[in-house]
Amino acid sequence: MKRCKNCGVILEENMNYCPLCGAPASEQAAGNEEDIRIKRRSREDKPLTDFQRLSVWQKRKLFWEISGIILLAGIVVTLIIDYTASQTISWSKYPVMVCLVLFAHTTLISFWHTRFITFSIGSFFANAAFVFILDIFNNQITWSLALGIPLLIAIYVIVVILIFIIKHARKRGLNVIAYSFVAGGLITLFIEGFISLYAKAQLQLEWSPIVMASVLPVAALLLFIHFRLRKVTDLKRFFHI
Amino acid sequence: MLETDHKTFEAGQFWLPLDNAAKIFPATVTSELTTVLRITAVLKERVRIKALMRAVTLIEKRFPYFQMKLKQGFFWYYLEHTGIHFPVEVDDKKLCRKFPGNGLLLRIPVAENRISVEFSHILTDGKGAFEFLKSIILIYFRECGIPIPAEYSFYRPDEDISEEEFEDAYKHYFKENYPPIVKRSEAFHLPFKLKAKPRFDVTHAGISIKSLKPKAREKGVSITDYLVSVYLYTLQQIYLDFYSSKRLKSRKPIRIQVPVNLRNILPSSTMRNFSLFVMPGIDLRLGHYTFDEIVKMVYHQMRLETDEKLIHKNISRNVGSERKLYVRSIPIWIKSLILRIKYYSLGISQYSGVLTNLGSAKFPAEMEAHIDHFNFIPPPPTTMLKVNCGIIGFGDKLVLSFGNITQSDMLEKRMLEFIESQNVEILYKDLPVS
Repeated sequence: MKRCKNCGVILEENMNYCPLCGAPASEQAAGNEEDIRIKRRSREDKPLTDFQRLSVWQKRKLFWEISGIILLAGIVVTLIIDYTASQTISWSKYPVMVCLVLFAHTTLISFWHTRFITFSIGSFFANAAFVFILDIFNNQITWSLALGIPLLIAIYVIVVILIFIIKHARKRGLNVIAYSFVAGGLITLFIEGFISLYAKAQLQLEWSPIVMASVLPVAALLLFIHFRLRKVTDLKRFFHI
Repeated sequence: MLETDHKTFEAGQFWLPLDNAAKIFPATVTSELTTVLRITAVLKERVRIKALMRAVTLIEKRFPYFQMKLKQGFFWYYLEHTGIHFPVEVDDKKLCRKFPGNGLLLRIPVAENRISVEFSHILTDGKGAFEFLKSIILIYFRECGIPIPAEYSFYRPDEDISEEEFEDAYKHYFKENYPPIVKRSEAFHLPFKLKAKPRFDVTHAGISIKSLKPKAREKGVSITDYLVSVYLYTLQQIYLDFYSSKRLKSRKPIRIQVPVNLRNILPSSTMRNFSLFVMPGIDLRLGHYTFDEIVKMVYHQMRLETDEKLIHKNISRNVGSERKLYVRSIPIWIKSLILRIKYYSLGISQYSGVLTNLGSAKFPAEMEAHIDHFNFIPPPPTTMLKVNCGIIGFGDKLVLSFGNITQSDMLEKRMLEFIESQNVEILYKDLPVS
């Protein structure tokens, strides 16, 4: 009778491994296990391409460098075309600014994508700077401080809260759509609110409350389906009193 | 008797509300206070793993009401059937450890010549766990070539599952309008220092039933009554030691909680929790008690408290509070908080120790020849109780398993010393888990 050297139970004669603890049952099996380990190692040692050999950090850096080169090339080409055509820099400053904002975001994605708060703050400042500079291009600061940046703040705060809630949701499904609907409704409220404050110097909401009122019941229905009606029996089970 | 189609037990479909006794446990479970009990069969030969694996596979379909995981509802926790197989695992980890969330509430630890079952008290009590282990062992021996007598009654894998097996028997015996029970005063608790976490440790002692039985009979009491009396007498000694050294200021009653298998009193074939407890005790404010006086008091208190009408009263009190609308309508997260506070303030503060006797394990004679003894470890004691004791008999061996979370083994030592002083043969003691 064979006995497992690890957990001490009796094994069948034809068993190479203990079904209880997984230890090899004989010298031969122990040898086999060594064989498997060697084969696994040799599989792992297969020649890798240069890219496969890079660490995650190096891969990210490579992505950042390539996207940087592409965007820089885009900026240079746009500027040259604009300057050659009109002997001055006119329309090209807009695509150049877009490229710079994109570059700021690829930098954030490459190096700070795991740091949610740092990423959000960095992204906000990049976009706020973009909005502010676009305003400056018109030679005076008009809409950016009164409308653009407050709107950006509202959108960023809502989106950050939305992502936080989704991230911490126990189960993701229809609830994600419901939360997004509510966030969308809130953003419309802020858009109309800031526009009315900017244009009419008073808070006057007309269409956005209707959007919000339509979105809320849909979100409530989605949440109800998500939490209560996942299974037909769940209601009885979940609320058994 | 209603028979239930096996198709009813589908993963995710079959669910059960927690029984009355189990309702408190999810609120009180911690990594130390796991509410996990363990029964071990120590065989004379090493376990043949293939036969055991086959036995567990065969038995799985017979106990769908144990193939459950704990889920949280809005008002109560409940059990939901899951497709997870009964886990047979190497017995090399901490005893009675907490079950991880979203998994089964039982495990089958195995090593060398030991087959154990560990059950969360949420699922069943000692009797239910023992019947489960018994079925595994019977089928295991059958797989090893020892036939089970045709007339032998046990949970056969091929028979139909009766709905009564998974009913809440407390509810079955509930009667309305019973008078309330008077709350007992706080009892004495062992003044020992706690161990560092993980605290729970177990020591076993084997006693010869042949030498213990005549001693109990001499006093005209059962083995349980006798051992409860020894427990109380030892606690009294410890109390007096600490009291005389002025480390204790006030005199309090000493009470032992003795769980009672209600299936012996009220007919039921439920495999879920169906036990209550009696609390024999002595009041030290009335003076010192001799051992004979304690035996007499325990004998009468045990009989008095297991009176059928009184049992009905206790069941009705417990189930009644669960049925109150204001209790039912509180969301579970608030209810859990209240239950936890109540558990510590009302429940465990009333008794000084726990002694639970599973009785004597019986098997067909041919199989008994291959079994050495059984161990029964009750769930780890609370920081207030500190030590508890589980008992199970087999053949001539009555095994006492002391669960202890303190730095002291004074209670175990003194109890065994006293038993020995009464000329009862101690077969072994202070053994590590085996």
